[in-house]
Amino acid sequence: MDRFQFPKWTNAIVPVLGALGGIGMLYVIGMVAYGASPETTDVGYQPKQPLPFSHALHAGKLKLDCRYCHNTVEVAGHAAIPPTSTCLNCHSGADANGVVNTVAVHSTSTKLAPIRESQATGKSMQWRRVHDLPDYVFFNHSAHVRRGVSCVACHGRVDKMETVTQVKPLSMGWCLECHRNPEPNLRPPEFVTKLDWEAEGNPHEVGKKVREELNLNPSTNCSTCHR
Amino acid sequence: MDKKYWRSLGELHSTPEFEEILHREFPVAASEYPEGVSRRRWMQLMGASVALAGVSGCRWEDEKISPSVSRPEGMIPGKPQKYATFMELGGQAESLLVTCLDGRPIKVEGNPDSPQSKGASTVFAQSETLSLYDPDRAVGVVERKGGTRYTRDWQTFLEYSDTVLGQAQKDGGAKLRVLADVSSSAARKNLQEKFSALYPKARWYDYTADSRDHVYEGAKIAFGEAVRPHFNLTKANVIVCLDEDLLSEHPASLLHTREWAARRDPAAGPMNRLYAVESRFTTTGAAADHRLPTRSVDLGYFLTKLEEQVQQRLSEKHAEAESDDYAAKVLAAMAEDLVANQGSGLIAIGANQPAELHARVNKLNEQLGNVGAAVRYSKEPLARDLSSVEALRTLTEEMQSGAVETLVILGGNPAYNAPGDIDFVSALDKVPNSMHLGEYEDETSLLCNWHLPKTHPFEQWGDARAYDGTLCVAQPLIEPLHDGKSEVELLAILCGDKHPVALDLIKESVKGSLDSMTVNASWRRLVHDGVLKGSSLAAVSPKVKSLPAAKIVEAASEEMELVFYISPQLHDGQFANSGWLQETPDNLTKITWDNAALISPKTAKDLGVEFGSVVKLILDDKSIELPVYVLPGQAPNSIAVALGYGRTAAGLVGGDVARDVKPVGENIAALQSQAAMNFAGGLKVEKTDKEYELAITQDHHAIDAVGANEVQGRVGQLVREGDLSEYEANPDFATKRTHHPPLVSLWDKNKEGKPAYQELSYEGQAWGMSIDLSKCIGCNACSVSCQAENNVPVVGREQVLNSREMHWLRVDRYFTGDDENNPGVAVQPMLCQQCELAPCEQVCPVAATVHTDEGLNDMVYNRCVGTRYCANNCPYKVRRFNYFNFNKIYEEPRGKLQALVLNPEVTVRHRGVMEKCTYCVQRIKAVQIEAKNDQRPIEDGEIVTACQQACSAKAIEFGDLANEKSKVAQARANSRSYTALSELNIKPRTSYMAKITNPHPSLAKPASAEHGHGHDEQHAEVGTEKANTEKKSEKH
Repeated sequence: MDRFQFPKWTNAIVPVLGALGGIGMLYVIGMVAYGASPETTDVGYQPKQPLPFSHALHAGKLKLDCRYCHNTVEVAGHAAIPPTSTCLNCHSGADANGVVNTVAVHSTSTKLAPIRESQATGKSMQWRRVHDLPDYVFFNHSAHVRRGVSCVACHGRVDKMETVTQVKPLSMGWCLECHRNPEPNLRPPEFVTKLDWEAEGNPHEVGKKVREELNLNPSTNCSTCHR
Repeated sequence: MDKKYWRSLGELHSTPEFEEILHREFPVAASEYPEGVSRRRWMQLMGASVALAGVSGCRWEDEKISPSVSRPEGMIPGKPQKYATFMELGGQAESLLVTCLDGRPIKVEGNPDSPQSKGASTVFAQSETLSLYDPDRAVGVVERKGGTRYTRDWQTFLEYSDTVLGQAQKDGGAKLRVLADVSSSAARKNLQEKFSALYPKARWYDYTADSRDHVYEGAKIAFGEAVRPHFNLTKANVIVCLDEDLLSEHPASLLHTREWAARRDPAAGPMNRLYAVESRFTTTGAAADHRLPTRSVDLGYFLTKLEEQVQQRLSEKHAEAESDDYAAKVLAAMAEDLVANQGSGLIAIGANQPAELHARVNKLNEQLGNVGAAVRYSKEPLARDLSSVEALRTLTEEMQSGAVETLVILGGNPAYNAPGDIDFVSALDKVPNSMHLGEYEDETSLLCNWHLPKTHPFEQWGDARAYDGTLCVAQPLIEPLHDGKSEVELLAILCGDKHPVALDLIKESVKGSLDSMTVNASWRRLVHDGVLKGSSLAAVSPKVKSLPAAKIVEAASEEMELVFYISPQLHDGQFANSGWLQETPDNLTKITWDNAALISPKTAKDLGVEFGSVVKLILDDKSIELPVYVLPGQAPNSIAVALGYGRTAAGLVGGDVARDVKPVGENIAALQSQAAMNFAGGLKVEKTDKEYELAITQDHHAIDAVGANEVQGRVGQLVREGDLSEYEANPDFATKRTHHPPLVSLWDKNKEGKPAYQELSYEGQAWGMSIDLSKCIGCNACSVSCQAENNVPVVGREQVLNSREMHWLRVDRYFTGDDENNPGVAVQPMLCQQCELAPCEQVCPVAATVHTDEGLNDMVYNRCVGTRYCANNCPYKVRRFNYFNFNKIYEEPRGKLQALVLNPEVTVRHRGVMEKCTYCVQRIKAVQIEAKNDQRPIEDGEIVTACQQACSAKAIEFGDLANEKSKVAQARANSRSYTALSELNIKPRTSYMAKITNPHPSLAKPASAEHGHGHDEQHAEVGTEKANTEKKSEKH
């Protein structure tokens, strides 16, 4: 029996197939890289919270300082989500006798029902996390805000957000950009929570001055963030 | 260097097996998958690594944040808080400071305010967090009726106890008995009195397998009253330990070790001299300057001879007898030292030795004027009329005769650890109403009608006293996880208080010790501190009465004895379900996950057995089969076996027959008897044809060497030792132990003569560590502390057999000398040395291990692809590879609770990832961030690594080498300082300080030949390896 032989013309197909395969691979790599990049997956993430808390109203219009609620941000790694009792400082409902505090705000609002329920049952509010780093990243808020890195550098203009949205990729490359060149994001530490602050004069000059004053040399060692 | 170093007899004799290990890149089967039963066991293991992790990393996984409804004042989420509490073992409290994170205890340290520990801790204390979250702990109240197990609640139990106790009250409790673990709690004592008042005819027995009854019974013989000896090792120039492990197994071991170690630094003042005469190699024996292996049965005879020698010398009638016998020489040296150091020596004898010998040691101490100086006495608060074993026997007899209707067992596990001739198990059958309060549903619970869950030490209010009498108070760090009640609460219930408030009971009972004017404030202070300052036991000065004449003769020399000892890992078996402790290699034998018959090389030869053969130990009519471990230095004709193994209802780690998990090791308690609780003569040993493979860690990680001779030569360079005279003649002898060509970099100059390579420059802090081998006793506390801090997984026996143990910090133990029947021991904690020119970094293809500006050798788990090149290239063999996902357990439902033990500040590693010590970088960062927040420099000693914190000998210093005033920089500049394998020019940041021994002049080895020079070689000088620490601008 004769051996089967591919006809001559098939020789031309090989490079074409190779080229197509190569393009296909590049395409797949490109798609995966694009699809998995934090720019694509994370920026714009806007989960629905258990109640429609508006940062635009509280931080923007009412000008509450960020630290009124996130009060551990200067001393701890976490900028703690406030306990129910913080909300109740203003939004307390009727007490056991049905008496409502005269200065209470929206004490009967149905939108605030989960807060009052949390107080009544002693069960925590279940907020959904927006800015979520992987567990092998050890980010410390105090190490940044005490050194003149504003909230706005990572979280954007939260005081303009009805629902908090992630606006920065929070990727490692993005972190390193700032660790390598922190000046653009530095401001005098007293202004870190003033989200609409703008540098007087050249922001780079201001950043440089802050950096010198506080002796800031952000490290790019692995163990700075990974332990 | 003439001294020979060896890690095992296999190495000493270069057996083919050892040769094979040496020439293999990885030990046998290191890359094979576990199979069969072993695999199941491995999956069931409790470990200590990741868990809460896992959840994230992926955007679309919805992570919830649950803030408190009302945050307690002063509580900052994510910030660790420390609370003082204690744990109690055999009536002795160890005060602790526990780190809690968001309400869960994650790490245990010693309480720095405790005069006993000053911040150090034991392995048992370290493992308490793991046991707190042990999923095998008993959940809820259980009743057993007619062989069936019913889940009940406390209410049902209360109804039951009302009925039973109501009846008992009618006859004054004549048929009511309590069997309790020994405790020094004042609250319990108060309730005990209340109980006795309520049930005047009821009887109360205390039992513990780890009793120190002989000590106070001996004192009763000597002084007529029960007193407790306290030793002040700082005042002792000569310390003689007779079967006594002052440094590790004694209840005040932390204090002893600290004081002993303070006098082992030749530059800090006169060194002490430690003699040990013992049958089994203890940690104290390993640290001793002179050790004499002697059967436990012969110690009385030895003591008689020592007394004779001392008397002769005291009366100056002594004629120097020339004898070549080593034992005689040691005895003479010991007597000479004791007499020369009257008032500044001490003799201590083990609690396993009979009371008569304790009495005679008391007398000898008094004669030598040691009392009042190095030896001090106080009242014995734990003295009882019936010794532990007598109490158990009396109770068992009563139970057998039907005199007991209701039995309350508070803690303990007598069904497991009762000696063989007390048939507690069958006696328990005859008791109609029995209840057991315990943390686990253990062997005793299975035989009782009721099992009551006991609170973990971290879940309860409590009070107890440390060995020196210091009052310790415990506060609950977490709500009882399994609806448990403490001993005090249960007792209060039995006394009729349906809803006892433990806080009030404890406060009430310690009130007497507090300042009456400010009780509330002092109480708050006490809870905060955990210990009451100045509450140690008052000294008494009893005088020895005349003792009956000694009539002790030497036991027949060929008679074999069996020595029972409390396991340094599992204690009396109560820690059997702790994976951390099961996997802690024994200080001397390096056995994990088993107990073995420890036999001296000579006896093994006589018996014709070798390492790993199974022998049958026969004592009277009882026998047990155990594998042989030939331990150099074990007394000839003495076989030692650890208690605490062979648990049949411990849990999935320690063994649970009901769930088809084989016990770990063998229970030797069956061979104990009332007459011979600690050691027994008349042992017969039969060979069997069985073999058993013990999981030991000592031959693993053979540091690079070819051939046994080379190894022996090199060990002397790794762990450098010298005696005091050598040190005095040549204080920097240690730096001269290696010879090598000048250390030049291969990359110094390129062809054009320009520097082609620049050494790394380090800016800001330069972290470094120094370990003083003169102080280290090899107690393993550092290793377990590291495991707890760094989420180091437990791998199980099968994986240890494959050399896959994961300890980041191991304690290497080397035998030294030529006499395998009486070798010396050198120990060396080995951890990542943070080389400045790290060989591991050069070979990593993915830059998963890289250097920081501060000199740390970082491990980047996410980059690691598991080539293991780094481990291969590491000369110290300190890198550990995750062959399996040892943390899988935490993803299973059973592991959810266990996952709470994980330190959230440390990443949990996955399968296929290399890991190693990073000087506790998470602790460094925590302090760095805080200091920088406050714009202040980091103080020396502010950063404490986990190993350093646990060390009772204060052998470890850590800090900034760039700061010349720091303790670690000074230690590195010390003349004894050297770095291991310095000839490789890898510039380790960890340095060791040579071990200095202080032998008696008559026993000192002849000085080695003058150190010759004249060749073109250079010594490794620590100075040349000084960390490259140009101080530049302080880094972030």
